Amino acid sequence: MILFKLAYKSLLNRRASVLLTLLTIAISVMLLLSIERVRVDAKSSFSNTISGTDLIVGARTGDIQLLLSSVFRIGHTNNGVSWQSYQYITKQRGVKWSIPISLGDSHKGQAVLGTTLDYFKHYRFAKKQPLAFEQGQAFSSINEVVIGSEVAKKLAYQIGDEIVISHGMGNTSFHHHDDNPFKVVGILKPTGTPVDKTLHVPLAAIELIHGGGHHDHDDHHDHSSHALIGHPKQITAFLMGFDSPLYTLQIRRNINQYKQEPLLAIMPTVTLKELWEMLAIIEKILLLFSFVVVIISLLGMLTTLLANLNQRRRELAILRSVGARPWQLFSLISIESLLTNFLGCLVGCTLFYALMGTTAGYLQSQAGVSINISMLSDYELTLIGVIMAAGFIIGLIPATRAYFYSLSDGMSIKI
Amino acid sequence: MINLENVSFKWHKKAASPTLTIEQLAIDEGEHVFLHGPSGSGKSTLLALLAGINVTTSGQLCVLNQNLSALTNAQRDAFRADHIGYIFQNFNLLPYLTPLENVCLGCQFSKKRQQHVLNQTDSLTKEAARLLNALGLEPHFHNQNVATLSIGQQQRVAAARAFIGSPELIIADEPTSALDTQNRESFIKLLFEQAKKINSTLVFVSHDETLKPLFSRTIDLVNLQGDV
Repeated sequence: MILFKLAYKSLLNRRASVLLTLLTIAISVMLLLSIERVRVDAKSSFSNTISGTDLIVGARTGDIQLLLSSVFRIGHTNNGVSWQSYQYITKQRGVKWSIPISLGDSHKGQAVLGTTLDYFKHYRFAKKQPLAFEQGQAFSSINEVVIGSEVAKKLAYQIGDEIVISHGMGNTSFHHHDDNPFKVVGILKPTGTPVDKTLHVPLAAIELIHGGGHHDHDDHHDHSSHALIGHPKQITAFLMGFDSPLYTLQIRRNINQYKQEPLLAIMPTVTLKELWEMLAIIEKILLLFSFVVVIISLLGMLTTLLANLNQRRRELAILRSVGARPWQLFSLISIESLLTNFLGCLVGCTLFYALMGTTAGYLQSQAGVSINISMLSDYELTLIGVIMAAGFIIGLIPATRAYFYSLSDGMSIKI
Repeated sequence: MINLENVSFKWHKKAASPTLTIEQLAIDEGEHVFLHGPSGSGKSTLLALLAGINVTTSGQLCVLNQNLSALTNAQRDAFRADHIGYIFQNFNLLPYLTPLENVCLGCQFSKKRQQHVLNQTDSLTKEAARLLNALGLEPHFHNQNVATLSIGQQQRVAAARAFIGSPELIIADEPTSALDTQNRESFIKLLFEQAKKINSTLVFVSHDETLKPLFSRTIDLVNLQGDV
């Protein structure tokens, strides 16, 4: 007990240098935990982007390219799927639902997606969560738009606002469809997926803004789902759900061998996994960096402890003179480094939560990573345990020196 | 209490001549001995041998009838903690402890001394306060930072630390060198009082020969070695 008291009082007496060491450890713990949390949550946000969809079908291209363009709105496909093929395939036995999507237009840099009402009914993200409305409802007319939560927040749009859609992607589009303004009728709840950054319009509207000739004035007021679909020639891709997983493989094979048109069907869960594996190197580099930070901070602690130890030879000799054994001085120094380490980890955890709390909103809006501010996971606790253990082992170096100092210095306090 | 016979000590085994050679020295229980000699006469070496920091190269050195050379390092550490109180020239108080805590530290590493205190009073702190009062440090200084105390006050704390737990042997290594003549004498009288109270043997080392008359016995280290 006396050793704990001495360690505590001695640390308090050297609070400036101890505080610096403690902060170094705290910052490294914070960085390690933050990188780990962002990594796990990015992975989870990534795989949560789409769920419950058995197949995504598009023009024949690469698996990942189709996934990126249809789900993440990254890049675009060179070709589309003809409406006839879509209708033929979706009429096959076992098809429970299908969602046609048409991409390629934008509004102030945000993707515009043409689809049907089935999108709001069947699209699932995260753990099979359906889309929900924050305000308003789904479009019921050709010139209505449902916007994602990020679009509403970023562009400060409200229900009833009128917007103009540009042709092509990006912020600077030269061709605005000024003659076809859209009225915001619904704002979706945040999903942490690209849906938040998307404007959803009826499939027929895509045709309309590109000057499709099959639309007449009456369609504006025709609320039937047929009017919302219009007469598209081509769509970018479509999502499918089946009655049974058995159909998935069978229909996937049929689509990939479909003779009328070169099509590609992918299973999103499989392709998502493949894509994440490609990104694994970044994940590893991030982890490596954070471990390097931890090692540097532990070496910093070692340097401070060793530098202090030389100044503390007199203190150790005094303790020897009042009866402390060399092993007790060894324990004293070990307890000090353990305490510093423990407090460093504790402060590090606090800083980690403070950082996550303040940046969660930013990460959600800028990177689409939904940060889960929850208790430390088993893995994160293990990481802290490893840091504590490493700190303790490093603390044994000055402790061993203290042991030998105390033997050689003995009670010669005139050091 | 202390018995040295044909003791010699060399810092290095291959050294030509020993640093310290004492043919015979006996100090009885309860004696207050003044040990003096010029710098380099081997005072600190003798104290290190008495405290069991170093062991004799040859001969026999017994403290409390225990031959210190026959003990292991750990046993000598335990022996020192249990039986010897040490007062240093430079006080050597821990700056981050209060006077009371510094005094208690004197028996924190010895169960025997702790038990001795607890047989007489309720707590170590009570005994530490009693000793500080007895040595002339007023209660309002007891919980102050030791660094704010005067030299004389710090020396009293150092003495109380040596006395706590009533060790059989008190070694004082030039404890009055920083005090003026008046304070020196009154401090030595307080030391005597305390040593008498617990029947401790006091070995007081100094090169200041003006202190000689205060002690019942004086040992000149130069003469002691010259006898050899």
